Amino acid sequence: MKGISYLFLYVPIVLVILTVLETCRSDDPVKILKRAFANFGVLTAVLIGGGAVVYLINRFL
Amino acid sequence: MNPRMEWKLVLGAVAVLAFVIAALVKEGERRRGVGFLLAWLIPGAGHVFLGRWKKGLCLLLIMSSTYLFGMYVVGFRAVSFEDNPFYYVGQYGSGVTFLVAQILGVEKAYPRQENPGWFDPGLLYVCVVGLLNLVLMINTLDLKLAAPAPAAVPPAPGVIPPEPAKPPAPPPVQENPA
Repeated sequence: MKGISYLFLYVPIVLVILTVLETCRSDDPVKILKRAFANFGVLTAVLIGGGAVVYLINRFL
Repeated sequence: MNPRMEWKLVLGAVAVLAFVIAALVKEGERRRGVGFLLAWLIPGAGHVFLGRWKKGLCLLLIMSSTYLFGMYVVGFRAVSFEDNPFYYVGQYGSGVTFLVAQILGVEKAYPRQENPGWFDPGLLYVCVVGLLNLVLMINTLDLKLAAPAPAAVPPAPGVIPPEPAKPPAPPPVQENPA
């Protein structure tokens, strides 16, 4: 499996990293999960947006 | 690098760190230093040692499942220095991952014909566990320890301790004149 199938492994590893980092900051499990998922959403949005910009630049410029 | 030399280097570094903690760190901070060393040995063990056992067990569960998944993806083979130096160093982040890497290190992980397609992401999972454990180790130094309970001070000889306050007397019950 090559190429895009690698992206399936992006979700769990990023969630693990963000959860562990938030666990170091806070003691409340609900707060930890909320912040981890929020940060995951922001990070994914930034990556998708950046990827889209790079794609558009390569396509039209 | 010679595997025996690696063992000696890593164990020597741990021994030097333990000596520095025992000799230079203040009495109150020594417990935190022991937690720091335990956190290197097993992910989450430092938190358990410092009284945050729920957090420590959760961290141990997360880290061990990530590590096992990564090892499953790469076919339960450790990466050697010649395979990939970055992923190799990442295994040093925890005593358990280091131990497993040393035990499995006799068989090289890469390159192999039968490697699965997700081999590189699997190595990334293994490496990330080691690197995240460094964050947990630093976090043990930042934990707020529970203050010890104040010890009961015995009264000085010849001093009569004050009697505990008596509860207020109940109001008198008025009898019925009839």
